[in-house]
Amino acid sequence: MGAEEAWLLAAIPAGVFFVLAIFGRALPRGGDYLGVAAILSSFVLFFVVLADFLDTPGKIGPVINDVEWSNIGESFDLRMGIYIDPITITMFAVITTVALMVNIFSIGYMKGEPRYYWFFAVLQLFAASMLMLVMADNLLLVYISWELVGVCSFLLIGFYWEKRSATEAAKKAFVTTRVGDVGLLIGIIMLWKATGTFNIQEIIHLVEEGHVGQTYLFAAVAFVFLGCMGKSAQVPFHVWLPDAMEGPTPVSALIHAATMVVAGVYLTARLLPIFEYADGALLMVTIVGLITALLTGFIALAQTDIKKVLAYSTVGQLGFMFVALGAGQPAVAMFHLMTHAFFKALLFLGSGSVIHATHHNQEMDKLGGLWKKMPITGTTFFIGSLALAGIPPLAGFWSKDEIFVVLNEEWGIWAVALLGLSAVMTAFYTTRLFIRTFMGKPMDQHVHDHTHESGLVMTGPLMFLAFLAVTAGFVVFHGVGKGLGFPGGMTEFIFLPHHGPHKYHFDAAWALASVVMGGTGLLAAGWMYWGNSTAKSTQLAESQPGIYDLLRNKFYFDELYQAAIDRGMLGFSYVVSWFDRYVVNDTGVDGSAQVTGFSGGVLKYLQTGRLPNYAMAVAMGVLALAVVGLVVRG
Amino acid sequence: MVPLENLLVLSAIMFSLGVYGVLARRNAVLILMSVELMLNAVSLNFVAFAAYLDPDKVLGAVFAVFIITVAAAEVGLALAIVIRLFRNRATSNVDEAAIMKW
Repeated sequence: MGAEEAWLLAAIPAGVFFVLAIFGRALPRGGDYLGVAAILSSFVLFFVVLADFLDTPGKIGPVINDVEWSNIGESFDLRMGIYIDPITITMFAVITTVALMVNIFSIGYMKGEPRYYWFFAVLQLFAASMLMLVMADNLLLVYISWELVGVCSFLLIGFYWEKRSATEAAKKAFVTTRVGDVGLLIGIIMLWKATGTFNIQEIIHLVEEGHVGQTYLFAAVAFVFLGCMGKSAQVPFHVWLPDAMEGPTPVSALIHAATMVVAGVYLTARLLPIFEYADGALLMVTIVGLITALLTGFIALAQTDIKKVLAYSTVGQLGFMFVALGAGQPAVAMFHLMTHAFFKALLFLGSGSVIHATHHNQEMDKLGGLWKKMPITGTTFFIGSLALAGIPPLAGFWSKDEIFVVLNEEWGIWAVALLGLSAVMTAFYTTRLFIRTFMGKPMDQHVHDHTHESGLVMTGPLMFLAFLAVTAGFVVFHGVGKGLGFPGGMTEFIFLPHHGPHKYHFDAAWALASVVMGGTGLLAAGWMYWGNSTAKSTQLAESQPGIYDLLRNKFYFDELYQAAIDRGMLGFSYVVSWFDRYVVNDTGVDGSAQVTGFSGGVLKYLQTGRLPNYAMAVAMGVLALAVVGLVVRG
Repeated sequence: MVPLENLLVLSAIMFSLGVYGVLARRNAVLILMSVELMLNAVSLNFVAFAAYLDPDKVLGAVFAVFIITVAAAEVGLALAIVIRLFRNRATSNVDEAAIMKW
C-alpha cells in the first residue's frame, strides 16, 4: 500500500455511488452508513498515501502513468494517470476531511427528507469526481472530472426540485459555469494543439522550453482561466453561487464553499508555471481576484439571508485566493484554500444547524439571541466567524496575512489597499451575521421558542471543524510542519520549482496591519448592531437609499444579465427563428417538395399505361444505346 | 461444320422477329411467344460462341440452361397474369389493359 493506491480514494466512493443509486431505496436508512463508510475509507487511505509520500523524499510526480486510454497511431497516444504532488496532497486533505464531516452532519440534517438515499449517492459521486479532478495527470481527465463535479452540483442544488426556485438555481449554476467551461475546453484544445499532449507536466515543460508563442499562449491561458472563473464564481460569473444556496445546506458547505468552487483555484495553481510564462496572465488573475473580492464584499453588507452572506463571502475569499495566485504564490493560495475550506465549511454547517433548529428559517430578520439556545453551534460559529474575519491566532488570520504580504511584494501597496478594504468588509459582515443570528434579543419570539440545539451527529462535525479552524493556520510555521512530518511549513511544502521553497517568517508590521483591518470591521459592526439592534443600520440605509438599493440588489448583475438575455439573446433568437421558419422551412424544405410535386404532376402524363408504348420505348432505347456505342467506339 | 456466321445470322433473324412480334402484336400470348423467341436467339448466340471459341468448356451451355430456366419461370408468371386479365376483361388484347397509369 502506498501512493500507487491513490486511485482507490476516488474508486471507493464511485462504487458506493452506484450501489446507493441502484439499491439505496431498498437499503435500511437509505444506506447512509455506506456513504459515510466510503468517505471514511477515502479519509483513511489519504493518510496511507500521505505517509508514503512523506517517506520518500522528493517523491513528486506520476504514480500511475501508463494506463492506455486511446491510441490512434503514432500521432495520437492518449494515456491517463495519477499525479501526486504537494498541491494534490493538500486538496486530498481538504476534500476528504470536509466530505467526511459533511456526510456525518447530513445524517442529522437530512433526516426524514424525501430521496434521502439519493442525496448520499450524489455526495459520493461528487467526492469521487473531485478526488479524481485533483489527481488527474492530464487535462482531458481534469475536464471530465470538472464536468462531473458540475453535474453533482447541478443535481444537489436542484435537490428540492419540487421548489421552482431550486430548479431555476440549478439551471442557472449549470449554464453559468458552462459558459466558462467552453472557454476551458477551448484552452485545453489550444494547449494540446501547440504541444501535442494533454499531460499537464509535459505541457508545462514544453512551454518553459519556449515551444509556444507568447500571444498564442496568453490566449490559451486566458481561455483556461475563463473556465476557472466560471467554476470559482469570479466576477462576472459570480451570480450562480449565491443562488446555489437553494440546495441543502451540507451541500453548500461541501460543494459551494470548501471543495468544488475551489477547483478553479486548484487548476490555476496547477498550471501556474504556464500562467507565469504568459505575459500579463498573472496581472489578469490578480485583477479578477481583486474585483471579485471588493464587489462581493460590498454586496454581502446588505444581504439578510444567512446563507447568502456566506455565499458572497465565499466568492470574496476565492477572490483572495486568486490574488495570491496572481502574485505567483501557489503555496499561499493553497494555504488560504485549506483554512478557508475548514472555517467556511464550519460556518455553513453551523448555519445549517441553525436552519435545521429553526425549521428552515434563514432570514436574519427572524433570528437573534440563539447563542443561549444553541451553545455548541453558537460557539463554533463564533470561532468560524473570527477565523473568517482574520483575527489571530485563528486559521484565517495566517493565510490572509500571507496574501497581503505576497501581494505587496508583487503588485505594490495600492493592490493591498483594495484587498484590505475587502478584508475590512469581510470582518464587518461576518460580525453582523454573528450578532444578528446569535446575540441580543430574538427578532421573532415564536421562532426563538421552538429552537433547540442539534444532536451530536451535527454538533460533532462542527466541533471538529472548529478545532481545525483554530489550528489549521499553524501549519505555515516551519516547526509545526516539521513536527507533523512535512519537510517544513506550507511554503516549504508547496512551491514552484524555479522559485524553490522559502521559509515563512512572521512579519509583525503586516500582522498588525492585518489585525487592524479585521478589528476595524469587527468593531464597526459591533458598534452598529450590538444587541441585535438594527436602528443604526436602518438609519444609515435610509440616509443613503441609492447606495443601499445598489448593494441590496447586488449591483443589478442579475437584472443586467436578464436584460441582456431578453434583448440580445431573444432578439437574436427571433431573427434565427424567422430565418428557420421562412428560409429553411418554407423555402428550403417545403419549396423543394413543391417543385418535386409540380414536376411530377406534369410528367405523369408521359405514362400511358399501354404495353406497346413501353415496349417501343425499350426497343428505341436499346437502339439508341447501340448507335451511341458504335459511334463512341469509332 | 456450319460456319459461325450462319448461326449468328440465324440468331439475329430470330431476335429481330421477336422484337417485331413484341412491338406489332396486340395479343398478350403472342407477345410472350415473341419474347421467348428473343430469349432463344440469345441462347443460340451463347451456344454458338461457346462451341466455336472454347469447345472444351461448357460455359455457353450453362448460360443457355440458365436462360431456359428463367424463361420458363417468366412465362409461368406472365401466363398467370394473362389468365387473370382474361378472366376480368374477357380479352387478351394489351391495348385494352391500359389501366397501369396515374
